Amino acid sequence: MSTRPSSLLRIAFAGLVLSFAVTADRATAATSQPRALGPLPAIEAPSAELAELGKLLFFDQRLSGDAVLACGSCHRPEAGWTDGQQLGIAYPGTLYFRNTKSVLNAAHARYFYWDGRLTGKDMPTQVRDSITETHFQNMDGRIMLERLKQVPEYVRRFRSAMNAEPSFGATLKAISAYEKTLVSRNVPFDKGTMSQAATRGQGLFEGKAACIQCHEGPMLSDYQPHRTGVAGNPEITRDPLRHLTLRSFAKFMGVPGFEIIREDPGFFTVSKQEEDRGKFVTPTLREVSRTAPYMHNGTIATLVEVIDFYNAGGGTAEGRDPLLKPLDLNAAEKTDLLAFLEALSGDAIEVGEIDLPPYEAIADWRSVPN
Amino acid sequence: MKIRASAGPAILTGLLSILPAVGLVLLPVAADAATGPATDGGPGAVTPLAALGPPPVPADNPITAAKVELGKLLFFDPRLSGDVSLSCATCHDPAIGWQDGAEVCRGYPGTSHWRNCQSIINSAYYRKLFWAGSAKSLESQAPSAARGGVAGNGERDVMEERLRQIPEYNKRFKKVFGNARPELPDAWKAIAAFERTLVQRDTPFDLYMLGDKNALGPAELRGKELFEGKARCIECHDGALFSNEKYYNLGVPPNDVFDDDPLKQITFRFEQFAKGVSEDLYRRTKIDLGLYYRTKQEHDIAKFRVPTLRYLVFTPPYMHNGVFFTLEEVIDFYDQGGGDDHAKLLTGTATKTPVLRPLGLADDEKQDLIAFLESLTGEELTMEPPELPRYGVFE
Repeated sequence: MSTRPSSLLRIAFAGLVLSFAVTADRATAATSQPRALGPLPAIEAPSAELAELGKLLFFDQRLSGDAVLACGSCHRPEAGWTDGQQLGIAYPGTLYFRNTKSVLNAAHARYFYWDGRLTGKDMPTQVRDSITETHFQNMDGRIMLERLKQVPEYVRRFRSAMNAEPSFGATLKAISAYEKTLVSRNVPFDKGTMSQAATRGQGLFEGKAACIQCHEGPMLSDYQPHRTGVAGNPEITRDPLRHLTLRSFAKFMGVPGFEIIREDPGFFTVSKQEEDRGKFVTPTLREVSRTAPYMHNGTIATLVEVIDFYNAGGGTAEGRDPLLKPLDLNAAEKTDLLAFLEALSGDAIEVGEIDLPPYEAIADWRSVPN
Repeated sequence: MKIRASAGPAILTGLLSILPAVGLVLLPVAADAATGPATDGGPGAVTPLAALGPPPVPADNPITAAKVELGKLLFFDPRLSGDVSLSCATCHDPAIGWQDGAEVCRGYPGTSHWRNCQSIINSAYYRKLFWAGSAKSLESQAPSAARGGVAGNGERDVMEERLRQIPEYNKRFKKVFGNARPELPDAWKAIAAFERTLVQRDTPFDLYMLGDKNALGPAELRGKELFEGKARCIECHDGALFSNEKYYNLGVPPNDVFDDDPLKQITFRFEQFAKGVSEDLYRRTKIDLGLYYRTKQEHDIAKFRVPTLRYLVFTPPYMHNGVFFTLEEVIDFYDQGGGDDHAKLLTGTATKTPVLRPLGLADDEKQDLIAFLESLTGEELTMEPPELPRYGVFE
């Protein structure tokens, strides 16, 4: 067994997953009223200084093992803070088997990841997971903190914002603080400035189209696992790197049959209940017009096609959630629904040029403390 | 298990006739024997130089041709690393003495290593691997390097699934190890078996010891006599392996490449942190603490394992931090009695070995010594990288 913190922490995650998993508050939509849509609750603004530091770290490739991948490499501002691909890229020598989620509004997520395996209450843990996971940034946290200590600007900023040396934990907090600033702004739905078409669309969303059964509440998500019958993405086995990454993930998460797995186990990863194979946690619809392509495996390219998908009653895969039925929407209704979905996006959050502070050799290294 | 030519009392008597006659029966390595691992022959005894026998082979990893072939592929395969950019052969390059020719090994991309890469040649004879002896076998050295943060940065689950994504490896592992699918521990076994074939037993020195009295010329023979006598190298560099595998602080000077390289400074601190030293030592040390990291005993600070002297023509630079580029520099270093005791400067506890003292070698004696040292290296052992099998698709 490796003694690297990354490996030990990953073992601990197995327990963490089970204790914080979606199973804790599972309820079927059929027996409870969907929560009303509405604006996001205000969250306490993080320290601006800490968020500024977190922003630099978010875009710093030195937070990956071989210093090529930053958070921002897969969560790109210009692609809705995803990577715009069906299936995500990953650490060199691996490729991801799921669609990259957006970081926008992560502060409001109740669970992280398509399989809901981490609680949204603990952003630093999700940041840690991304940084240390083999197929994400593959970073040994001890090397990472020493890299940060080698950047005088980071030493200065950590001292100023947290009154401490750069550390692994402080890094997680700083990045989380930055992510808390990545929330929707000036959303027409929130401001009450939607077009008439979008307003009609909201009526359909809450009524005839019944999207609200799963896409409920201020985040337009119940954060529960569902099987919508989306077809599998053949790339996860057609591409050797994606297939081996899927298997190694399933191995680590203790999915029986990982040796020959060919389909994404989805929520089964967390619950280990057969009935949960192929179920995925409902994503938020905020900023959805920015985060194409859609579904856990990116197989639906546009919102128009997503609406057609649900209009047909979801996909054809076995065990589809009985909530999904053909909707019988006409062309005008589909247009209105699309207008509503688009009204859930606010101002683009752009990031200017990032000037990453450089390493410097420590002058008179032999005479100063480490 | 070590293969050494057995020494009879007659040979010791012969040695004693060369040494200053001051009643020295036990040579002064006893002090270090108390702190280092045990060797054959009792405290202070020196094993005579000898020809190199076959390498030891552990019972649970016998050598077969198929296993060696598989191990060779894996040795050259960058998929046994984190970002698939480097293999064992990247830092242990056949064309560069099976090491990398740098003072301090290049390390994983985005990092630097912090010690000199050692050669694979004859590594099969060591009981422990790495400069501080932290791996107990070739089988455990390989994963330690493949997974190390500034070495391979590989992780077990992904490396294993990469092997399983390669049809040719599935076939070969099954044939050699009999499991349904490649198991990562078997990869290290295969690599170890391959490494056990990288030995050199036909150097001019070996040929001489095996009976060819023309294999060493007059200069080399004079050098051998100095090695076993006035220069006293044999006190630590003894036996067939030219290493007693104990640990000594010689006072090797620190390498100033650390002074202006940010990546090396990062790794230096990381190693202190990762090896679990006290905060006080983490803050204060600027020297590699060597054996101390394993024993946490102050009297082991700055001690490193005696390396073999075989194949050294192809393995500069020398010492744990690559600080000497030529054998001339090395011999000058020993001629002056080694260097400063940096452990004592750091903690107040002296750890430099009393074995080293000024030798008073004349220039021509130094030349003869070099000639002898060079006779411990035979032909260069190179190897073309094999063609690696490709990933398959299992839809």
